[in-house]
Amino acid sequence: MSATHATAKILRTELKVGLEIHIELATRSKMFTRAPNPAHPDFYDCAPNSLVDPVVMALPGSLPVMNLIAVEMSMQVGMALGCEIASFSKWDRKNYFYPDLPKAYQISQYDLPLCINGSVEIPVSAGGSRSIGIIRAHLEEDTGKLSHELPGGVAYAGSLVDLNRAGTPLLEVVTAPDFDCADDVVTFGQELRNICRFLGVTGGIMQRGHMRFEPNVNVLLTLEDGSVVKTPIVEIKNLNSFKAVKGAIEFETKRQVEEWRATGRVMGKGMKITRGWDDLKGQTFVQREKEDAHDYRYFPDPDLVPVVVDDAWRARVRATLPELPMARRARYREQFRLSEVDARVLTDDADFCAFYESCVAATTAKGCFKAITDAGYATGKMLLNAGSKRANERNCMVQELGIDANQVADVLALREDGTVGPQAADLLFGFLCDTKDNAATVAEQQGLVQVRDESALEAWCDQAIAANPQPAADVRAGKVAAIGRLVGAVMKLSAGKAEAQSVNDMLRKRLS
Amino acid sequence: MNTQAHTCTGLHEIAAQVRAGASTASSRVEACLARISDRGTALHAFNEVHADEARAAATRIDASIKRGENPGALAGVILAIKDNIATTQGHTTCSSRFLENYRSPFDASVIQRLQSQGAILIGKTNLDEFAMGSSTENSAFGATRNPWDQTRVPGGSSGGSAAAVSAGFCDAALGSDTGGSIRQPASLCGCVGFKPTYGRISRYGLVAFGSSLDQIGPFAKDVRGCAELFEAMAGRDTLDSTTVDLPVPDCCTQLDEPLRGLRIGVPREYRTDANAPSVARALDEAIAAYKSMGATIVDVELPLTDVGISTYYVIAPAEASSNLARFDGIRYGHRATLEAGEGLEDLYAKSRSQGFGPEVQRRIMLGTYVLSSGYYDAYYNRALQVRRRIREEFDHAFTKCDVLLGPTSPIPAFEIGGKKDPWAMYLCDVYTVNTNIAGIPGISLNTSYAQEGNSTLPIGMQLQGPAFSEALLLRAARMLERTMPPSYPA
Repeated sequence: MSATHATAKILRTELKVGLEIHIELATRSKMFTRAPNPAHPDFYDCAPNSLVDPVVMALPGSLPVMNLIAVEMSMQVGMALGCEIASFSKWDRKNYFYPDLPKAYQISQYDLPLCINGSVEIPVSAGGSRSIGIIRAHLEEDTGKLSHELPGGVAYAGSLVDLNRAGTPLLEVVTAPDFDCADDVVTFGQELRNICRFLGVTGGIMQRGHMRFEPNVNVLLTLEDGSVVKTPIVEIKNLNSFKAVKGAIEFETKRQVEEWRATGRVMGKGMKITRGWDDLKGQTFVQREKEDAHDYRYFPDPDLVPVVVDDAWRARVRATLPELPMARRARYREQFRLSEVDARVLTDDADFCAFYESCVAATTAKGCFKAITDAGYATGKMLLNAGSKRANERNCMVQELGIDANQVADVLALREDGTVGPQAADLLFGFLCDTKDNAATVAEQQGLVQVRDESALEAWCDQAIAANPQPAADVRAGKVAAIGRLVGAVMKLSAGKAEAQSVNDMLRKRLS
Repeated sequence: MNTQAHTCTGLHEIAAQVRAGASTASSRVEACLARISDRGTALHAFNEVHADEARAAATRIDASIKRGENPGALAGVILAIKDNIATTQGHTTCSSRFLENYRSPFDASVIQRLQSQGAILIGKTNLDEFAMGSSTENSAFGATRNPWDQTRVPGGSSGGSAAAVSAGFCDAALGSDTGGSIRQPASLCGCVGFKPTYGRISRYGLVAFGSSLDQIGPFAKDVRGCAELFEAMAGRDTLDSTTVDLPVPDCCTQLDEPLRGLRIGVPREYRTDANAPSVARALDEAIAAYKSMGATIVDVELPLTDVGISTYYVIAPAEASSNLARFDGIRYGHRATLEAGEGLEDLYAKSRSQGFGPEVQRRIMLGTYVLSSGYYDAYYNRALQVRRRIREEFDHAFTKCDVLLGPTSPIPAFEIGGKKDPWAMYLCDVYTVNTNIAGIPGISLNTSYAQEGNSTLPIGMQLQGPAFSEALLLRAARMLERTMPPSYPA
């Protein structure tokens, strides 16, 4: 085959990607000690080496003690990914020297991970959905960080070690090589992030490194003689944005084909290569040539006892699982009759979704809709229209606009009982983003309450007809569609306070 | 050697006298310091004597008693601490160049427990570097000498603590025992040394050597002293996941009551040609003593006794190679000066080569080798299998007897520099390593003496019991102690 690599015609190129994802869990304390965890919101951006203790520093005589919360969070993720939770898992030491690894070993789970054999269904770009296999999810501790800059960005000639991150609980999820395009990897990554955010196990802030992706990529080439060659597997380290994930996989897909053309190198034992990603150049680069360069000398950590999980514990953790995004989407479609797209947007962010749920609850409690279906639908639409519009303007999330669930429910109630019209409801939503005042009061203050007073309506209608002679003539001539322009003009004149149906009726009467 | 008979009254009695005003903590500290200044330099039992800190602690205790308070069951009891147990008082060096200037910012859990009961720390004792050795000659700061004959070793690795107790520098001491490091020096120095069941006493603050084997334990002049210190230290500690959540047994109340119907197992494998004639005789005497007290002597077999050393020298170095990897010169301890052009790898290699002595380096290499890919199954995994078999063998033996009796060491104290071959040194632990491999408790007490030339050298007997049988084991040891009361260099 190697004789032909330079010239062989490639009939088909098939990408194969498996994914390793490191998730920093947002426990208050670290994986094996009481020191605060920088992945918890209370301890973001702390001064270097301020989140340390004898265990983090690996001082002589210190011992690790397992963080039970981290284990339970990992069980939650495992369950959400459809994994079995192992009855017996244990802790192993992965030995290597590096200044960001204080003990010179990382405590991890080698051959007996906590979660095994799961799968996640994702919508794929080719259409439909596909099940992505989860081989395992195991718990370990993060390393510290090396830098060459002093705080404030001042360059420093040597290497500086910050051990704040050392010991942060890290859940490593490993998928089967079930992806065949970069977009699906990104979809999966977003879904996983979303699941973890719904579970509340991580901040999930990519820029903070709460989730780091390591795709294993190679390409299967079908040649004209029917043979299939596989390029060597490349592991791309530490991608912390979805843009990088997509870019790196797409770059590798091309590069590997070119490399095969040039060298004829194919997949084999010890051929796995580690590459990094240069975000600026949009290229991957070699980090380590051979996978067996390291011998980590794994062995069971004698300082820790194995994790033994019985059915009672499993059941206890399972009972704490919230409704996950996938299930919520289905419910929003079925129960609230929202579209697939609307349901997806409402479940894309855990905090937004929680806000939506609280708005639905408040709206339902007001009793202005006959059925919960209508309450769910109307609330969803209001947040997706009035809410999203303003969130875009203000560059924030809907739940951060300032309007609370009760105010949202009040706007809907006022609209339903006809106190305000649809346009005025939208304006009222906007005003309520900046005040804690009662919705009815604000509607009154801002003059948004619908006017049903005949004489006022007549005056606005006459004004509109006078100002728009052509549409008026059209309506008179039987072109009913032209009435829209006139209704619009009345709404403008009334600043949205006129009730649309009454205006319509009155215009027709006058132009008949 | 002038000796003085010891009255076995334990440590609580000392504290009772201090609390009653019959003695003071301060006068007791002064007496110890005087003895240390008299012969401490020659023996080199201590890496560091904490005269000022001990005096200050004694003053606090005496003042508290004057105020009518109770400073605890160990009020005014003076302890020496093996220098691989972390103390905020003084340095914690592990007798290694690497940690020569290291001060621990925290106290080991056992130190907190003992100090909270009024114990006073008089200093840190010498050891084989990182507890790796059987003679205390592997200390980076020079060998400790045996109080019975200064040309001989005190045993090891807790040689400093054993020598300090036997020389009367303190009332009792702490050691650590990974393969015999408390019991063997106790035997060679003629005091009592006790290694409790693995998991009974917190290892938090004990600088790790072989984590699955390491156990802190007491040295005292009598069995009662060991029992009292054991009770003070034992019990679940949330900082050490391997401590067991079992109630601490009452070992002291019935300590002096002889056990009826006691079955003493004497393994055949403990009676070999390797035993010095004086040691073989001492074993016969101990058997006779138990018989005279009505105990039944049971012949038992422990055929895996002789593979213990090989098993131990796979497991302990494997764990040590990982445990000692943290000594990289980055955060604390010795950091080598680099030449131009040298980098991170050089920093590691030079700092560790300069900071660790030859025995430590030997064991790190051994441990790295047995864990490396391709050798793991042949060595480490096989050693774990043998470990299970050794446990089962003990379990089986304990169906036939209550405790096992044998020599602690096949020979009495040997001359300093007398064992140049590492393997010959390793064989000193032939009767003690399996105790750690099985995780069971063992105690050594002086029962006899060897006459070698002009020297009188103590010989210790070891008793081993099933896991968590400390109360029974200590009582059985106390029975033997009463028939053969100890004496110490005057």
